[in-house]
Amino acid sequence: MDRPALLRAMKLIRAFEAALMARPDHGFQLLSSGQEAVSVGVCAALSEGDRLLCSGRAIAPALARGLDPARLMAELLGRESGYAKGRGGRGHVAWPDGGFFGAHAVVGGNIAVAAGVAMAAQLEGAGRLVVCLFGDGACGAGALHETLNIAALWKLPLLFVCDNNQLSIATPVAEALAPARLADLAAPFGIPARTVDGMDVDAVAAAAADLSVGARSGAGPAFLECVSERFATHSTATRETRSPDQMATILARCPIAALEAALLASGDLAPADIAAMDAGVAAEVAAAERFAEASPWPDPAVAFAEV
Amino acid sequence: MTKLFFAEAIGRAIREAMAADPRVMVLGQDVGAFGGPYREFRGLYEAFGAARVRDTPVAEHAVVGLGVGAALAGLRPLVSITYMDFLTLGLDPLVNYAAKARFKTGGQLACPLVVKTTAGAKDQGVAHAQCLEAWLMGVPGLRVVAPSTPGDAYGLMKTALAADGPVVFVDHKRLFPLAGEIAEGVAIPFGRAAVLRPGADVTIATHAFMCRVALEAAGRLADTGIDCEVLDLRSLAPLDTETIARSVARTGALLTLEEGQVVCGVGAEVAFQARAAAPNLKVARVGAAPAPVSSNPVLQAACVPDADRLVAAVRALLAA
Repeated sequence: MDRPALLRAMKLIRAFEAALMARPDHGFQLLSSGQEAVSVGVCAALSEGDRLLCSGRAIAPALARGLDPARLMAELLGRESGYAKGRGGRGHVAWPDGGFFGAHAVVGGNIAVAAGVAMAAQLEGAGRLVVCLFGDGACGAGALHETLNIAALWKLPLLFVCDNNQLSIATPVAEALAPARLADLAAPFGIPARTVDGMDVDAVAAAAADLSVGARSGAGPAFLECVSERFATHSTATRETRSPDQMATILARCPIAALEAALLASGDLAPADIAAMDAGVAAEVAAAERFAEASPWPDPAVAFAEV
Repeated sequence: MTKLFFAEAIGRAIREAMAADPRVMVLGQDVGAFGGPYREFRGLYEAFGAARVRDTPVAEHAVVGLGVGAALAGLRPLVSITYMDFLTLGLDPLVNYAAKARFKTGGQLACPLVVKTTAGAKDQGVAHAQCLEAWLMGVPGLRVVAPSTPGDAYGLMKTALAADGPVVFVDHKRLFPLAGEIAEGVAIPFGRAAVLRPGADVTIATHAFMCRVALEAAGRLADTGIDCEVLDLRSLAPLDTETIARSVARTGALLTLEEGQVVCGVGAEVAFQARAAAPNLKVARVGAAPAPVSSNPVLQAACVPDADRLVAAVRALLAA
């Protein structure tokens, strides 16, 4: 994926979330704004047959993996035309046929499951890579440590990606986790690991591409820590605990603004190109909203058929 | 008909499923060359190899999670959790993921996972003894079976390994020495109770090892002129409410018996369903004392139901 495409992918996530939040019917949501570079950079390293699993903070991973914004919007707004017919909703979006094996909103609850998907991929032998994206909040959970051990032992084709936004709801990472560098968690298991700036999409994409080579070719799992910033509160139901000064510093690290400035400076994009890109993204998001609004709510009479 | 021990019957069903379908695999602690905690997997490792009969670390969360992921990705894993007490460590992937996967993906994914675990008291103490199957009965998307004979263990395991969603298969330590006939090739559908002994005066609804206790008590009560019908529920979710209703409609009295706790237990659900069918039903329930099951033989015996307690409970119920 070229750099303008990375920029557009990040802009789509940001605009999608802004449009969702502007709606009075948005309901409970977990937003990815600020952390777009992690999902977009990681997904840039994936092939069609690869399988991504992620945490409940799923809008960025889903859009970065190529889900249709219209069907994603419908799913998040509870409509029948969503990927899971509106039954999964926020935190549980999935489109397995498109390589998005799904979000799961139990912190740490998707990590061992991802190893099972990777075990199946290994037995299949078709070179599929499985990626599990989770937050720093999951790094204190036994599930991660149990799974690191098994993945290393069996050399599973699994890339662990920690999107370290440095907060578990309101608890700062330093108050919750002993290691200063979360990539170090992989070291005792002999798993190659790297820490990158999660606000730099080029750095994330390069590291993900690099680490996925070994994981894909039988050398075993790898671990990528991306240190990022969460622009919104943990969820739409959570209050902000950071000061305006802190927020100003955080928002100044915007991965989209940084890449846009770099592409303008390098001459890869002209201001007119940016304007066209923004207009295209806005039109795509508006179309997604119209699609979702036109779709019916699930019929309770049949919604429980697939328990 | 072939006569097998309980563990052999389980192993036979798994072996047949593995031979017929390369997607079936076994995961768990000591399932490989060791052959399983009760030798229920004996011979599978030799027949199918280490990739499909796979030893795991002692890490129940991850092992159930591996099974869930493998099932979602198209395999048919059986995960062995040595004792049901330890399944508490694997409840997150089982309850929050496997049981919800089909629903939450709108049918895009299925989770054909079998979790096989061993319940029951046999001298091993407070965290190697519990019967927690009632906890799982109310989880939408989960099916729970608990056979009491080798024939049912074989037939229910065949159904479990062919099912399209997660199944918890609960066997029992004290059933392993039992031998019995199996009907080769015949799967037993879920949701059907078995009448182990027909009777006219009282229905005893139970499952797993407590079926043996119920049959012993029924034999003793018959000598005193009380004719017990013993129902082996076999499948706890789905529950065979029709057979329960038919039985209590004839007997007018129901005694539920389980080795687990009676509070929110299997019997509580059975009694509620039975009452809906027979409003004037006499009901009583028997289960473990509300205490941990000790390895101390005196305390274990005081906690776990036996035929003496059951005989007394039936007499009290009918005298009420």
